[in-house]
Amino acid sequence: MKLPDTRCWKATSGCAALVLILIAAFAAASRAEHGSGGLPAKIAYCKDCHGPAAQGFLGYYPIPRLAGQQPEYLANQLRAFIEHRRTNNIMFNVAHSLSPAMVAGLAASFRALNPPPLGGGPRSRAEEGRRIFQDGVPEANIAACAACHGPQATGAGIIPRLAGQVYPYVIKELVNWGKERGQNPTIRDTSYIMSPVAHSLSRSQIEAVAAYVSGLR
Amino acid sequence: MKAAGVKLALLSGLLALGCAAAVRSHAATPADTVSQRDVAAKLAYCEVCHGVEAQGFRGYYPIPRLAGQPIDYLKNQLQAFIERRRTNNIMFNVGHVLSPAMITALTDDFHKLNPKPLGGAPQDTVPAGKKIFGEGLPDVKVPACATCHGPDGKGNGPFPRLAGQLYDYVVAKLTNWDKERGQVPGKPDTSAIMQPIAHNLTQAQIKAVAAYVSTLE
Repeated sequence: MKLPDTRCWKATSGCAALVLILIAAFAAASRAEHGSGGLPAKIAYCKDCHGPAAQGFLGYYPIPRLAGQQPEYLANQLRAFIEHRRTNNIMFNVAHSLSPAMVAGLAASFRALNPPPLGGGPRSRAEEGRRIFQDGVPEANIAACAACHGPQATGAGIIPRLAGQVYPYVIKELVNWGKERGQNPTIRDTSYIMSPVAHSLSRSQIEAVAAYVSGLR
Repeated sequence: MKAAGVKLALLSGLLALGCAAAVRSHAATPADTVSQRDVAAKLAYCEVCHGVEAQGFRGYYPIPRLAGQPIDYLKNQLQAFIERRRTNNIMFNVGHVLSPAMITALTDDFHKLNPKPLGGAPQDTVPAGKKIFGEGLPDVKVPACATCHGPDGKGNGPFPRLAGQLYDYVVAKLTNWDKERGQVPGKPDTSAIMQPIAHNLTQAQIKAVAAYVSTLE
């Protein structure tokens, strides 16, 4: 230990503080979910609909892949369901019982999963979708998806990962953007960024982009 | 027979009018003009990535503020993307479909915008950055940034505005100067001016200057 005493103390107390925070978070998570099995049980519950590895699932609705998703995006969407910014009655009911510690635990768990894509998108449209994703359609004022979602479609922060997302889910979201997102006029959220893009894309272009991203690992 | 004759007369009349209009517009103004509606649609498209009022946005990459930028600088950069002097595939695609009239309209609009800085920079290095910006680092041949970018960082002509620019964008540009700018050996451009300066700044100095300019209004 060549560190001066004060730095050494600071480092030690910093570690101690971190440990305390972690313990408190876990304690809060297990307290909130007491009697229901905590985080593992909640993850199992999510996977009932989102698929065994959270790779997405085709139920009555296409249910999105959560695996590898950006934690900040997941937390923001859970909040959006609760605040009716994003309309989905099932997810409202799921979300409003989750404690903040549970949301953080779930988001971290889903982030760590990396199953292969669910598949099912038409591969014949993927090349056209790749061009739209990487280059945009400048003549039609459609921005390149890659600018925000990243060249590998992994997303960043509040911007979602699209890689491996379920094909019909991507289509459904883009087609219904203005009806599902940004629905609480008193709370402005980041969904407005996608509005003009979703609006400018034709149905055929939406299908091509969905085919491309749904095949990305 | 009579109807056909009337049609023919009408058609030739219209043709003559069309030719006269074409000649007149060619003589009076540049042949290429752009409607307010098209400009508004294009601006909305730019703002998808560059943020509300073009104040900059953090997508997968930090996407620069365009608001308040000098017109000459914006025009020169769009030209640089098109000529591959500045490498950026997304902006190449955006730039190469823009007509001269559209570029004039867009750059005028961006220059006039004046939103607050986006923020998000570390504050502790701001004083060090202010000193470098105002005084330079004579020992390592770094001139004061204010000499060209102006004492308030608002830029002038081909020299960009730095005031309110995104911290992480400025850091990325100064760090990668040689790899992104002046990439066509046969077409030297004004980016050569910054080359030795970017080269002589340490990473810590770059971060300090970036933090300072990002706070300027």
